Amino acid sequence: MQHAWIDGGPAPFDAAIERAAQLLQASRLPLFAGLDTDVAGVRAAIALAERTGGVVDHMDSDAMLRDIAVMREAGMMVTVPSEACLRADCVLVVGDALAADPAVRERLLGSGAARQVYWLCPGRGAGQKDAAAVKRVGRDPRELPALLAALRARLAGRPIGPAPLPLKQIDALAAELRGARFGVAVWAAAQLDAVVIEMLCGLVADLNASTRFTGLPLADPAARAVIEVCGWMTGFPVRTGFNRGYPEHDPWTYDAVRLVESGESDCAVWIASTRDAAPPWQRNVPTIALVGDEEAVPQAAVRIAVGRPGRDHDAVTGYDNAGTLVAVPASAPSARPPVATVLAAIAAATNGGAWPC
Amino acid sequence: MLTCISGGRVIDPANGRDGIGDLWFEDGRIVPPPQGRQADARYDGRGKIVMAGGIDIHSHIAGSNVNTARLLLPEQHRAAAPRPAATPLSNAGWSTFQTGCLYAAMGFTTVVEPAVAPHYALHAHLELADIPIIDKAMLVVLGNDDFLLRLLRDREDGAAVRDYVAWVVQASRALGVKAINPGGAAAFKENVRSLSLDDVVPSYGVSSRQITKALQRAVTDLGIPHPLHVHCNNLGLAGNADTAAATIAAAEGLPLHLAHLQFYGYGTEGKRRFSSAAARLAEAVNATPHVTVDVGQVMFGQTVTISSDVLRQFNARGQGRPRKWLIFDGDANGGGVVPYQYKAEGYYGALQWAVGLELFLLIDDPWRVFFTTDHPNGAPFTSYPDILALLMDRELRAEWIARMPPAAMEMTTLPAITRCYTLNEVATMTRAAPARLLGLKDRGHLGPGAVADIAVYTEQKDVAQMFRAASLVFKDGELVVRDGDVLHYRWGKALTVRPSSDPAMMRRIAPYYADRYGVAPDLFAVPAEAIGRADPFEQVPCAA
Repeated sequence: MQHAWIDGGPAPFDAAIERAAQLLQASRLPLFAGLDTDVAGVRAAIALAERTGGVVDHMDSDAMLRDIAVMREAGMMVTVPSEACLRADCVLVVGDALAADPAVRERLLGSGAARQVYWLCPGRGAGQKDAAAVKRVGRDPRELPALLAALRARLAGRPIGPAPLPLKQIDALAAELRGARFGVAVWAAAQLDAVVIEMLCGLVADLNASTRFTGLPLADPAARAVIEVCGWMTGFPVRTGFNRGYPEHDPWTYDAVRLVESGESDCAVWIASTRDAAPPWQRNVPTIALVGDEEAVPQAAVRIAVGRPGRDHDAVTGYDNAGTLVAVPASAPSARPPVATVLAAIAAATNGGAWPC
Repeated sequence: MLTCISGGRVIDPANGRDGIGDLWFEDGRIVPPPQGRQADARYDGRGKIVMAGGIDIHSHIAGSNVNTARLLLPEQHRAAAPRPAATPLSNAGWSTFQTGCLYAAMGFTTVVEPAVAPHYALHAHLELADIPIIDKAMLVVLGNDDFLLRLLRDREDGAAVRDYVAWVVQASRALGVKAINPGGAAAFKENVRSLSLDDVVPSYGVSSRQITKALQRAVTDLGIPHPLHVHCNNLGLAGNADTAAATIAAAEGLPLHLAHLQFYGYGTEGKRRFSSAAARLAEAVNATPHVTVDVGQVMFGQTVTISSDVLRQFNARGQGRPRKWLIFDGDANGGGVVPYQYKAEGYYGALQWAVGLELFLLIDDPWRVFFTTDHPNGAPFTSYPDILALLMDRELRAEWIARMPPAAMEMTTLPAITRCYTLNEVATMTRAAPARLLGLKDRGHLGPGAVADIAVYTEQKDVAQMFRAASLVFKDGELVVRDGDVLHYRWGKALTVRPSSDPAMMRRIAPYYADRYGVAPDLFAVPAEAIGRADPFEQVPCAA
């Protein structure tokens, strides 16, 4: 079975590995992006980036770093879906948060959920029918900053100016939230900006003066797992570069798209083992594509069809309901090489040999 | 390869040894002096102290709460050191790689992560596996979990609790059990804002004392060598010496370990109503031979508090500096990460510093008081050498005391204490005693058959420097550190116990998980193949 291509043409696996190693070693600033892979895969990517003085970034970084920015600049109270679903008597969904996670949507809003749900500015999420009593408050997500600010002010008993909703409605919602026994605010950073998230987290913190309230940021569990691995290996989340010999984190400097478009990065390893996603940049850059869809990134200098975690091979990845890492056995084992195996082979083919970790 | 360290002062309290002599090891184990064989490798031990590798029983080095702290405080661990060729990522601040190297440089060879929630065990073991050099272990957290609280609410007998605890310990690959403010996290979810030993978790009607006793009994009955390791209620609060004393008394003849006792060493005297009660607590510890404690010493500077005592961390969040924090209402214990600064010029920090030292110096038996800073909660573990110096050098201690606010020192007995730790006592407290407490018969000592985990220090007046950069460190007989520098990576094992559990318990746990989580319990298992290292685990026997 063909797993490797060089410049679009079928090639032996070892030749593709050699070519990839050559490209990386010749590169001034290699980029390891996409990072849609399992724990072993991201470990190997970080190891290789460290070896080659490269950069690691995940395709969901923009959104995930919003939550991280709010946490590390202001603080946050959070829970996990299982706890929220078990305990919440009041749920405050903010923006179109549940689009990406039908499972959580079903458990939070589905039949049998004995809780009051308020949905602020649902936008397109308004369309679906839910069994639970969902009160939609506001409509346009662009009103969220003003609406959250007004709500937070009224919770603290402060006067407000013109707001997206009448004062009475805002006060009523504030009273409902204050009356919750265990409330959960739900959001997805992909739909909001950091300032809105910070305001929401501040609102949640304020509510804890008198009752129990917490937050549930939703994100792809596999992407979350990547952040965890990067955290323990480098001390930092993704958008971290090793070009100076030590890990440095900067969301602007080490943005994959910016690095490629500016020409700073001259070689990219694009890792997309489960998602049908092409590199998000426009500029042509020599690319080593490790892809679950073997037809993806046809323009890549080196393309390798990799196994999908938990399907072609055993994997450790994120489990959303508990917000933790779990081992998933291969449901349909195949000969496709895992990302970790491919990257380890490339590392072994570079001057430094196998990474000692 | 037969190796000899010759002519060093070998301090091995477990075997009653303290004198100049040779130490022989081969194939990763200490061996008796061989007859008629020459050493293949010889190290000059003259002017050196030779001890077993250090064992740290309570240090937050791995797991999701530790990782959260990394992400919360990037500005506090910026890297700058050049790329180390032999030990990549050991220059990454607060990384697992750096952690292992820093411990090894100080001659520590086994470290225990004291707080891992059962469902986060795989994550914790993956982090532990990325800590180089040292062997490690973790304690699994129970005491706020719904399954246990239901068993107690329903007045199930000890057998059910025992089987459940055995299953959790096995499944999570733990070395022992930790209880953290038992009932506190569960109560906090019900808007309870404080919990003492005899307070009840409302929806279960079960007290913290009942939870503690049930876990203590289970751990003892299962033959798990390490006693139940308890983080008491009311951490950090003035007057909480009462809580610690009550918990010590609650041991009732069975082994019990109290964590970071310093954080419970506070009375309410003086105009600030915050004083040292260390003398009283030390007396209680001295009088209760089945209780052990670790100190949780405070040292000054910026640090971060990482704890699964979510109730405490929530209540303390306003005192954090810088002013940001994460509070996590997890399944069962959860956690909180709150940055903190201890200031030598401030009354409270100075008093806390003194309380820790009082506990070290007033608890008589170095086999029962353990050397920790509750890293990073009291101070980073890199401050260990400075603390040892303070314990061993009375004049140095006096210099520090002279710089502290007198008002704080007056509320402690520290200025009057003249005791100095001897090297023998240090070796007991940091090697022999921890090995015994954890049930590790093959380490913490240098008798034949012991693992060749050896720390060699250069004898010098500057005790802190002596312990900061070991002259030589051997791990399983392989040289890993020379003059404080790690030479190359090698990978230790995670030590675990596997108490036996009645299979009938699985027939209860499986439907419970299906109903509560919609998954099978083995979703949270820790398969050895998932760890990505050869033979990542080593089993420690339970008592029969």
